Amino acid sequence: MFKLEKSFYSKTSMYSFFTILILFLSMWVSTAQFLHIDMALLGYMIGSAVFAIGLVIRMSFWLFRTATNKIATRSVKNMFAKERLKRNAKSLGITLIDNILLQKFIFKRGLYRGIQHIMISWGCIISFAFTFGLTFGWFRFDLVDPETYQMVAFNIPLISMAANGWIAEIFYNMLNIGAVMVLIGVSMAMYRRFKDYDVKVTQRFEFDLLPLYILLAVTVTGLALTVSYKFLDGWMHPYISLIHQITVIIMLMYFPFGKLFHVPIRPLATAVPMSYQETLMVDTKTCKSCAQPYSNDDQIADVQAILKAQSFDLQLADGTYLSDYCPSCRRRMRALKQMNMEAPQGNPYGPVNTNNGIHISGFGKKRSDEYFGIDEDIKKDLKEEKDHEPISR
Amino acid sequence: MNKIMYLEFERCIGCRACQAACRECGDHDAKERNYVEYVDFTESRQTFPMLCMQCKDPACARVCPANAIQITEEGVVLSAMEEKCIGCRNCTFGCPFGIPKFDFEKNKMYKCDMCYDRTREDIAPMCASVCPSDAIRFIDFDEMQQLRRRRTQMNLVEGKKPQEGNKWDYVPEFFGVYTDSQS
Repeated sequence: MFKLEKSFYSKTSMYSFFTILILFLSMWVSTAQFLHIDMALLGYMIGSAVFAIGLVIRMSFWLFRTATNKIATRSVKNMFAKERLKRNAKSLGITLIDNILLQKFIFKRGLYRGIQHIMISWGCIISFAFTFGLTFGWFRFDLVDPETYQMVAFNIPLISMAANGWIAEIFYNMLNIGAVMVLIGVSMAMYRRFKDYDVKVTQRFEFDLLPLYILLAVTVTGLALTVSYKFLDGWMHPYISLIHQITVIIMLMYFPFGKLFHVPIRPLATAVPMSYQETLMVDTKTCKSCAQPYSNDDQIADVQAILKAQSFDLQLADGTYLSDYCPSCRRRMRALKQMNMEAPQGNPYGPVNTNNGIHISGFGKKRSDEYFGIDEDIKKDLKEEKDHEPISR
Repeated sequence: MNKIMYLEFERCIGCRACQAACRECGDHDAKERNYVEYVDFTESRQTFPMLCMQCKDPACARVCPANAIQITEEGVVLSAMEEKCIGCRNCTFGCPFGIPKFDFEKNKMYKCDMCYDRTREDIAPMCASVCPSDAIRFIDFDEMQQLRRRRTQMNLVEGKKPQEGNKWDYVPEFFGVYTDSQS
């Protein structure tokens, strides 16, 4: 592997090369040696290939980050551990259904946002699946006889359907369905971005609004194509199709470098129940100071390793790390440090002495004499007087 | 942004106005992002306010596997971007000061962003603008330097120069004694 890597300019270029190679071979197989390639989609094909390279480069850089690498390697290691089989299956199932299929956590952030996001995401997934499938020739529709269409995936004939049947109709309109979903979602998102003052606090044009404009351009031009050939007898069709092609390619170029890049990194969320916190809000590792559970050992080990790899020196004098304490104890430690109130000796985890001899807690203790600043001889007199004082005050 | 947050823990009276104000801030979703806690409840009723330090090189961002914690050009460390945050809570454990909070229901982390919509216009953050005892202040850098110098002077005036061996006898230097902020 190392030798192979040396023959490339970099790791990312190696991965990109193999990605393109796999894409090319998959096309070779599925289009029957480029016999059934759809030349009308050539622009999309080149755009998609460049998109694949961009995605591979971004994914590689993301996975080379210390933090990402740590959690990813631990998850991969855990994935193939036999004793974790049940846990892994459960985590994968929950993440896939709750977080990706149904996107429950976004609905918890608000019904409006949930509908908006599920529209955009599923519209995009449908459109992407169909576009990539057709441009790379992974599947195609062959006319077997004038009445029957046959779906061919990876050059293997699958289902046959009547050319005027409802299944065929769904397939013809798949991209339209996706586009309408995205259009609804994007309009909702844009309305929210323009009207909601809370969102505007951290909103950035190039990050939050630009992807919406790009998606809007893609869907509007795509739907305009349908409108053109269905209702306007193909009026302006070649021009609209060219504009649509340009907008799609712009989106594909933007995808790996902007907000849309959250799509490929999102599945890492599986790692959380798989490697760290098995059940939500149940912790197993206890704080060094207050003995309350706040995390689990694997995660703290990872956090410490990540910080160490990036030269963060958060080790205390007694050898423990700050991440060995629960957040609340860490906050207290900082305040004590700042106020110079840390326990000077003895048990560092014991109670802190906040008694400075001047401000006394409770009525049972006395202020130190030093506070009163009284001379020695007067103090002597006072002491003599004290003998005659009543006991209770 | 030329102003800084200046905290004096010993000035805190524990009224939690800062937390109430924080809940009202834009984009905070009616949840406070700062803390008011007891130093040691069994010993005294002294509280202290705690906010994010807005580190130059934040540990929370470094331990985030999704690269979700971003820093603005003004140097404010923002909450995890909602679309990237995978909810692993690494940031809450990586932060040396225990600042980031985690919303289990919405599956996202949120932390003090110094009321970004206010401070980027040089308006004091919500907590600083309501603090009745000036424990949290949003002041110029020069003013901060002056205050710090004054604190050292006051220590010397009161003859309470902490030594290495006995500093815990004299601290906190201003426990309940307010600094003269007329300067």
